Amino acid sequence: MEFVHEGCQAPCSIKGIVIMMENAWLIPLFPLLSFLILLLFGKRLKEASAYVGILFTLASLVYSILVLFERFSEPTYGTNFEWLTIGDLHLTAGFEVNQLNALMLVIVSLVSFLVHTYSKGYMQGDERFPVFYAYLGLFTFAMLGLVISPNLLQTYIFWELVGVGSFLLIGFYFYKEEARAAAKKAFIMTRIGDVGLFIGMILLFWQTKSFEYKEIFAAVDAGEISTSMITLTAILIFIGAVGKSGQFPLHTWLPDAMEGPTPVSALIHAATMVAAGVYLVASLFPLFAASKTALLTIAVIGAFTAIFAASIGLVQTDIKRVLAYSTVSQLGYMMLALGSAGYVAGVFHLMTHAFFKALLFLAAGSVIHAVHTQNIEEMGGLWKKLKLTGPLFLIGTLAISGVPLFSGFFSKDEILAAAWEGGHPILFLLALIAAFMTAFYMFRLFFMVFTGEARGSQKHVHESPANMTYPMILLGVLAIIAGYVNTPWFGTFLGDWLVDGNEALAQHGHIEGPVWIMIAATVVSLAGIYLAYLMYYKRSLARNWLSGTGDTLHTIVLNKYYVDEFYQLTVLAATTAISYFLRFIDVFLVEGLVKGVVGIVQGLGRAGSKLQSGQVQTYGAVAFIGLALLVVIFAFTGGYLR
Amino acid sequence: MSSIPASAFLALALILFCIGLYGALTKKNTVIVLISIELMLNAVNINLVTFSKYGVAPSITGQIFALFAISVAAAEAAVGLAILIALYRNKKTVNIDEVDTMKN
Amino acid sequence: MDLETLKSFEWSVMTPEFIILGVAALLTLLDLFLPKKMDRRILGWIGIVGILAAILSVASLLNVESTSILDDSFTFDAFGKSFKLILLVGSALVMFLAISYDAKEGMEDYRGEFYYLFLSALLGAMIMTSSGDLITLFIGLELLTVSSYILAGIRKHNLQSNESAMKYVINGGISTAITLFGMSYVYGLTGTTNLFEIANKLAAVTNGQQAYLLGLAFLMIFVGLSFKLAAAPFHMWAPDVYQGAPTPVTAFLSVISKSAGFVIVIRILISVFYNAAPTDNGEGILFKMHDYLAVIAAVTMIIGNVVALKQTNIKRLFAYSSIAHAGYILVALTTMSSNLLYSIWFYLLAYMLMNLGAFAVIQVVTEQAGSSKISDFAGLARRSPILAVLMGILLVSLAGFPGTAGFIGKLNIFVGAFYGTPHYVLAAIMIATTVISYFYYFGIMTQMFFRPASDERKLNIPFGIVVVLLVAVVGSILFGIMPNIALDFLNNLH
Repeated sequence: MEFVHEGCQAPCSIKGIVIMMENAWLIPLFPLLSFLILLLFGKRLKEASAYVGILFTLASLVYSILVLFERFSEPTYGTNFEWLTIGDLHLTAGFEVNQLNALMLVIVSLVSFLVHTYSKGYMQGDERFPVFYAYLGLFTFAMLGLVISPNLLQTYIFWELVGVGSFLLIGFYFYKEEARAAAKKAFIMTRIGDVGLFIGMILLFWQTKSFEYKEIFAAVDAGEISTSMITLTAILIFIGAVGKSGQFPLHTWLPDAMEGPTPVSALIHAATMVAAGVYLVASLFPLFAASKTALLTIAVIGAFTAIFAASIGLVQTDIKRVLAYSTVSQLGYMMLALGSAGYVAGVFHLMTHAFFKALLFLAAGSVIHAVHTQNIEEMGGLWKKLKLTGPLFLIGTLAISGVPLFSGFFSKDEILAAAWEGGHPILFLLALIAAFMTAFYMFRLFFMVFTGEARGSQKHVHESPANMTYPMILLGVLAIIAGYVNTPWFGTFLGDWLVDGNEALAQHGHIEGPVWIMIAATVVSLAGIYLAYLMYYKRSLARNWLSGTGDTLHTIVLNKYYVDEFYQLTVLAATTAISYFLRFIDVFLVEGLVKGVVGIVQGLGRAGSKLQSGQVQTYGAVAFIGLALLVVIFAFTGGYLR
Repeated sequence: MSSIPASAFLALALILFCIGLYGALTKKNTVIVLISIELMLNAVNINLVTFSKYGVAPSITGQIFALFAISVAAAEAAVGLAILIALYRNKKTVNIDEVDTMKN
Repeated sequence: MDLETLKSFEWSVMTPEFIILGVAALLTLLDLFLPKKMDRRILGWIGIVGILAAILSVASLLNVESTSILDDSFTFDAFGKSFKLILLVGSALVMFLAISYDAKEGMEDYRGEFYYLFLSALLGAMIMTSSGDLITLFIGLELLTVSSYILAGIRKHNLQSNESAMKYVINGGISTAITLFGMSYVYGLTGTTNLFEIANKLAAVTNGQQAYLLGLAFLMIFVGLSFKLAAAPFHMWAPDVYQGAPTPVTAFLSVISKSAGFVIVIRILISVFYNAAPTDNGEGILFKMHDYLAVIAAVTMIIGNVVALKQTNIKRLFAYSSIAHAGYILVALTTMSSNLLYSIWFYLLAYMLMNLGAFAVIQVVTEQAGSSKISDFAGLARRSPILAVLMGILLVSLAGFPGTAGFIGKLNIFVGAFYGTPHYVLAAIMIATTVISYFYYFGIMTQMFFRPASDERKLNIPFGIVVVLLVAVVGSILFGIMPNIALDFLNNLH
């Protein structure tokens, strides 16, 4: 097998020094091993399965961190080998460690490790405990594999595998009707996106004769692909990202996916998989950057999703659903950043969001674990009872609301700056309003859950065990400090590093916005918090002071803008409209055809079976007749058929 | 040596081959079937020997080939008869058309 | 040929053959002289050691340049090396099956013969991979065939085994005669049995009558050899013989014997007919005959897959499936694409792994059930989940799903069908029949996973079966995920 060393154009490091990156392919392998072990021996290991999963993801985490540190001082490392050769068709496989995926590796393996640890407490006593850990291993493997893929084909394979993992985990409580439906919905909705991605990928292959990111970027750079083709493929690929990252209009599966166990929501539907869409756009950024139209599309969809989902989040009463809509909204933010050419802003927010959203979900899980309900109307006054969860939830809430000094503040600020500098004042305004809404509904959630009188039937409320709280504490620390790697005050280390040595990205590095943006963002988020404070803590404002005036509006928002209903209705209408036509085709053409083919096949089978009479001389005779037929044809055609 | 043309030998071989094939495909007695197969193989030997004498490029190799073919045919016949005996012990018949427990 | 010439030959390239020959002779003697009561399985283990030694010796000879000894009647080249490895590895796996085989009745006293007959059959197949002469090709073929006749009937006191062997002998005899008849014409037109000389002489044939005779010879040889491939029109023996023969023998017939059949077909077709009687534009007779090959390939695929749908016996089902797989490989042979050898070799490799693995499971299940109905697989997932999952993987590979070696094998052949003159019809038939094959492969899956077990006993899995399954499943997945390992190996052969 011949390994082609790439990424060693500049002064190549002495061999042996990049030992960590050379073996980065081990990172996804650890969770795969965990999956296989649990698949085979899960039944025997029982609750000990957790340790297998935790240990293997810990190995991945440690290795990822080592790789990240090595990447700080060394250039990008990538290696490829010919995976499949059929004639002239050469397909390669391999892995690459660049800035973006070195960072992603750490994020994914860290969150996965924490969720593995947390689940040991959360899933305690579940009958299918080992299966849960096996699925987690499978998902982590797929996600890490997706991250280090150096080409589109490999990315696509892992992309689908990630979808399978997500499907299995959403439907983990398969005996619940809602869980089954949610798993199915997630599968179908993301599949719609995948079709776009697949077509885009094939088109790119057709244009560039390669799936390699490097080759594709080189072809784009050299102007080998027409601009309209770039736009088309970029938008098709973006459709894939829309499906995975729950962007409008394919967002409806994500809130439903909350039927899965809460740690799963934290891992898959907050920190990692849903960010895969953003990651895909980021890793193909040079392609998108080559088309203004594609970037604008992304920015518009992103901004619209951000405000759209935030507005739905205002009125939800299920703690996980509020968080789900906030995830959709935050992913919209990231898309907006990328669409406004703010590469660093998007990736930065992806990182901070992974930490604080995972924290919020785990804390929410801890709350649910304590009170056994997800309805925030039935909670309240938990601050005193959950001494750890409460403050941690507050940290997450402050971070997502963009309160200064917390991580979300810096990344959100960078996005707003990107939108403004990118020349999209309207989108900037939308993002600002969404920031206000975010602060409002997150604090609404906080106040309703943790302050005021205890509502509903709360008995035996107790703090979660240590293996659930420790991961939260670690995430809490990260939710505070993760922002400081890229600030206008203490240096833009992350931003500079991310685009270092990459000309295509260099112009999309850290964006220094005007100071007033930072002030505006702070004011907006504090205003949101204050309004929530008035309404849900002081209760000096009636809770329906707004919804009372616009009852219809409230209903519309409460029903998530009727998008699901819209789908149902349009699909229904379309179905009835063309059902007659389809039925006609079905009955007279398809069914007839199918019946015919099946009949022929079965008839042939029956005839062949009947000919098999058990008489050995018949067999010889058939062979002889076959030979005779061939010879006769040969004789009559005077030799050859052509 | 002779005025018999090569084509006569080849025709003989072909006829012998066809007789053998006919016997192998129609006879009821398995012993006869095995003998018929021997006939087919012998037709091949006639062919080989003819070609070694009258072929496009006559050579001794054909006769060597024929010797190998004869010995292999003997081995095949021996094995065939042995199997037939084993079958006869279990089934008490040598009629080939009664051997049809496995079919369809 | 005097002693000096004999001594000057590089006999070392025949080491693998000598090892197998020596071990086979040793086993014969041991079987004769060992006390009657002693368990003959020890012979099987010696046989396995012998085969492994032969594999090692082939491996150590991999870097030897192509060598011809004994007046070109034995050629040790890349073709021989690569196919020998498949035959040897396959035979080692079959030996493991044979050791684990425990028939209820019919072969108590003949267990020893079981093992050395496998070796002599293997020896015949190995000689074929290296022969450069019609006579040695024929001898190799017959050594393989005659050994397999006895193997099929080794359960002397079992009527089905007798019947299977009888049918095999009669059909085999007819096919041998037809092949030989065709060969005799080839000899007649060239006056030599050396394949290289035949090729040279035939390339100079311009006489229309001679070319016509050559066409007839081609058809006879091919139809005769289609017996070994279990391809149309000489396929009908396969289901009956497969059903009646002991399971390890069935596995042997469906894999080793079939691979050997393709070896001889490739040898003869490529070296004899490829450039024979060329037309003005230099196309050999093989190109002009490939419509006949296409028809045979299509008929084979259709018959194999369609009739398989009606089967209720697992061994008969696999007989039809093996007919179908022969059809797929014939597609590669028909299209004569530039990577013909690679695609056939890879397919045979993949087929060897997945089919032997499947037969390992079949052997365990049928032995326990005492019959070989497909319904005996019902509820296997409950009785032995691991066995069911492994069988599932192998079936998925046989059906040709992505991620498995079976898929890559089919993909190679399918893409090859569009090289040169594209064979759209053949490619379409291949896809259609592959889809048909899903029905019967997944029929077995349904039995294993969704039907209640009629027999709740746990299955005990002997060590030999574990080895075979491990190699088969790991190989099927490995070559499905990293197919270029095989390609690089083949490309690096001299």
